Amino acid sequence: MRAVQTIPDPVNRFASRLLGTPALRQLSALQKEEQAMAVLRTNGAQLLPVFLSLGLDVSRGWREPAALVSRAIRAEADAMMASEVADLLSTRLSFSFFPGLAGGRQAPERAREELRALIARAAAHPVSRNALSGSLVIVRSDIIEKYIPQAWVRKKYIYVEISRVQRLTISAADLSDLTRFVVLVRPAAYLFVTPGETVEKDTGYTPLQEQYIQKILPGIASQAPSLPGALLNLGLRSSIGFTATGGLEATARMGAIMAMRGRALSPSLVVDRGADSPDKSWFNVQRRNARWHALDGRMLDELYTIAAENGW
Amino acid sequence: MRRVGEILETVVVVAIILVLVHTFLDDFAVIAGWGVRARSWLIWAGLGFDLFFTMEFFTRLYVALSNRQGTTYFFRERGWVDFLASIPLLLLNSLPHALALLAGAGLLSGLGSFLNVLKVIKAVRIARILRLLRVVKLFRGIRYARSPMAQGHVSSITTIAVSILVLWMLTASILETAGIIPGLEGPFSQGQAARAASITEAGPGAPGLTQKAAAIASLDRTILAVRPQGGAVVWSRYSASYYAENFLAGDYGYLLAGGVEVFLDERPLAVAAAREGLVFFIAVMLTMLAFLFIYAPRFALQISDPIHVMNRGMSENEYNLEVHIPPEHVADDVFELAALYNSVYLPLKDRLGSQGGAPAPALKIDDLRDLAEGK
Repeated sequence: MRAVQTIPDPVNRFASRLLGTPALRQLSALQKEEQAMAVLRTNGAQLLPVFLSLGLDVSRGWREPAALVSRAIRAEADAMMASEVADLLSTRLSFSFFPGLAGGRQAPERAREELRALIARAAAHPVSRNALSGSLVIVRSDIIEKYIPQAWVRKKYIYVEISRVQRLTISAADLSDLTRFVVLVRPAAYLFVTPGETVEKDTGYTPLQEQYIQKILPGIASQAPSLPGALLNLGLRSSIGFTATGGLEATARMGAIMAMRGRALSPSLVVDRGADSPDKSWFNVQRRNARWHALDGRMLDELYTIAAENGW
Repeated sequence: MRRVGEILETVVVVAIILVLVHTFLDDFAVIAGWGVRARSWLIWAGLGFDLFFTMEFFTRLYVALSNRQGTTYFFRERGWVDFLASIPLLLLNSLPHALALLAGAGLLSGLGSFLNVLKVIKAVRIARILRLLRVVKLFRGIRYARSPMAQGHVSSITTIAVSILVLWMLTASILETAGIIPGLEGPFSQGQAARAASITEAGPGAPGLTQKAAAIASLDRTILAVRPQGGAVVWSRYSASYYAENFLAGDYGYLLAGGVEVFLDERPLAVAAAREGLVFFIAVMLTMLAFLFIYAPRFALQISDPIHVMNRGMSENEYNLEVHIPPEHVADDVFELAALYNSVYLPLKDRLGSQGGAPAPALKIDDLRDLAEGK
């Protein structure tokens, strides 16, 4: 068995500088990693002088040194993500929805730590790591806080689906918090998906089956005993494809849409003159592709209207 | 080399802006009655600008001919504008004025015969209108639109509009000078000539020449001075120093009849011509500004911006913004295409995922090279 090669210090320093470069400043740790990996993947052969300057052996081509640099980048991204997740869990998630959905009891102290551990586990799996990327981006952004209160004021499809059909008696702020929770739990649904089953771009976003979720739920719930199974189930079910007759909870449908939005969200995108805003464009395209991605088309219609009305 | 080229282009743009200011001041100085000193500076500055643009034209022509692009430069890249706005102006306008200034024709004691040359200067004064063509040159030098298509289109349409304006003004001035269409100069000169004739009819030896000159001059304030041919001045409205400070060569008219010379004030005519020049100048500037600030943004909004967005969407994998379609332009061809782009192309691109085109990562290879070197 071949021993795993130790990453030399210059490579680690290079990876650290690479992910800290100003061009990537606005991106999340996983987005930074994706960008760095994309450059390595598409320009590997042209990077031989770079590998050489890092003291790597390039006698057998670019793939081996590129793999070593990739490992260093991933390790650096893991470290960055750990602090990013800790920050998100303390500043962006308050578990304010907990009493309303867990029979009035407050979230236990360990709930936050168990969710962090679940996210860390998802980050270690190639498929759920990909799913986690969009989730972290959307939770970092203010999109959920922008749209949910608007939907609440409008009292149309989204409000009716959540408050009347799903029968959640919850404020807009608590619903925003719940949606963030759902989106963060969602990547765990892909923990048992074998890498390579879907095309690369869709990894972590392919709709899963209800039976599959019911099968994996006990295993995941056992790792987060402080989090009620019903809550975890909402997060996991946000990976199930929507069908008009499927009975999928509105919060899970909203979570799925928001996770997809996070996947396509680019904070550094400059909106050209003559172009529509990023949210309006994205929701409009997804309205047309709702069936393709198994998202709730009517929910997308309303989100599109909110984006158009507010110039988002 | 490229940097030198950019610097020279910037110098040309600055020169064009300065020469437009000069064009305005040249006419304004006449209307405002600026003195000889200030107007002399303007004449020298005009000569400098004309020399500069003549050199610029020959340099561009030389470079174009060296690259066997002479015809392309002259006709397609508006070398004809460079030509019309340089050499004719130098030869017909600024150089004669500068020579007149050098000859000292500003003094009444100067040679009367030289003043005939000034009639030639007045005749070619119409060539000054060609200066307004320099407005067009600005469009080549300043980058005012993001899209080369918008820049090229607005430049073309401005060139057409400004050229037609300028060439028509030039033609009208020629027709006016030739007497084919009535102008201000005819009646003004005829009136002056009639009053001067009543002074000269007595002849140089007449005893009452001075009194007669004074009597007629009190009726016509454009009569400046009277003297027997080649003799001493017998009557003058102003002192010699006043003439030296306020009159340039083109400000005098001159009549010789019956052995008597009469010097006439042509400044009212010059003021009328300067007013006309300013009206032309403002018309051309307004035309240019209208194209720059009204038409160019409309062109960008309706044509080049939507095309730019579609182009980015088709060439960059991660660029998925829709084209904004203004409701009032829904039926425009470009926006009908944009509607298809929004409703068909982008959803298909979203479904096809990464097969949509080349990725546009935020990182470039050079970033990695710099980082590896610890920069």
